Amino acid sequence: MEILSADRFTFEELTEAYNQTRVDYMVPMPMNVAKLREYVRVYDVSLVHSAVAVGDELMLGLGMLGVREDRGWITRLGVLPYGRRLGIGTTLMTGLTEQAVTHKLSQIWLEVIKGNEPAHRLFHRFGFVETRELIIARRPPLADNLPPPCEIDRVTTLDHEEAIILLSHRAKRANWLNETETMQNVHNLSGLLIETSDGGRGWVTYHAGLLQLTRIIVEVVAGDPANVTATVLHVLHQRHKRQDAIAENVSDDEQWPGYERAGYFDSFRRIEMVKDVKF
Amino acid sequence: MAGNGRDQFARAAANIRGMKTILQIEDNHANRLLVERVFEKMPEYRLIQASDGESGVGLALDERPDLILVDMGLPDIDGQTVVTLIRQIPELKNTPVVAITAWPEDKAQEIAARYGCDGCITKPIDIRTFPTQIAQFLYGNP
Repeated sequence: MEILSADRFTFEELTEAYNQTRVDYMVPMPMNVAKLREYVRVYDVSLVHSAVAVGDELMLGLGMLGVREDRGWITRLGVLPYGRRLGIGTTLMTGLTEQAVTHKLSQIWLEVIKGNEPAHRLFHRFGFVETRELIIARRPPLADNLPPPCEIDRVTTLDHEEAIILLSHRAKRANWLNETETMQNVHNLSGLLIETSDGGRGWVTYHAGLLQLTRIIVEVVAGDPANVTATVLHVLHQRHKRQDAIAENVSDDEQWPGYERAGYFDSFRRIEMVKDVKF
Repeated sequence: MAGNGRDQFARAAANIRGMKTILQIEDNHANRLLVERVFEKMPEYRLIQASDGESGVGLALDERPDLILVDMGLPDIDGQTVVTLIRQIPELKNTPVVAITAWPEDKAQEIAARYGCDGCITKPIDIRTFPTQIAQFLYGNP
């Protein structure tokens, strides 16, 4: 078996291999070529630093590395069914962490789906530690949209540039998927800034596609976190009634009850992990 | 898998024979093949298949199936959004939709219910009980 850099393969080959790695997963999340290209671009995945395990001219597994300044992010790690139990996951992780050392990255981040115990154990063995649980929340368009808990005083619509400015001033650390760098790579973000008559203030940024609302991020600037979150999301869904909504990697914190009041539910969870790299 | 003249003929013939048309939207070739094998032994059904969400909704509009089986993990539009779309298209909104998923049973039921599916079948599909499940979704419990 040898480890080759992922840029030696076509997107078609990488997509096919990735889908095979997920074929028996609880949350398979298959991709097509266009989606993988978009994923690589938006999340700053470096194919040069990403790894593919090959044996007997067959792709056995792959793992990708995103790079932003001195931080790395391991993603899309998986082993094809016929390559399992051969230590390929460990070999890929070794290759990716060596890439991090070579490129003097200070930290490596990753997420593992809650319940994927083999992967979780593998990451522990490599020295990763848990930081928090993240929720992948969904909201079908026909969900009950309860009246907003706060009376709305003013709604200001924001364009992409204004949305980016708000995102870059967030109080809490964002997960890789929701970092400002990600959002800068996404086109046509929109935003809403909501002020309530009781002094609450919050905003939401999002991408409105034809079928889906994605990249949903809510921040509460003033007022009760759950109430303001529910109010902000109420306004968003009054304006986009037909789309299915996905809020990815939402922190399980004081804002989450506000998402639930706006019709969101917890579809599955990821565990965020980090490792400090020692040179 | 897309509709053409031969498919239109097959649909007309199926209608005359009173066959029920089942649409399976599933990206995994092995899973499509498995369901194909099951339906080969069931002449009362006509199976049509699509490998992604977009072509699946297109095929549903062309063929107006009696039942739609939607895999929740699709490579283009995910299954939940496919169901959302089906429920918003007047010609399809009343068609029974069954979610096919590898989620644990309770989570699968919750997702199916929230998205307005008529039920769910968890993977791996059990070929012994699958025909009964299909009949129940089409005709209800005896």
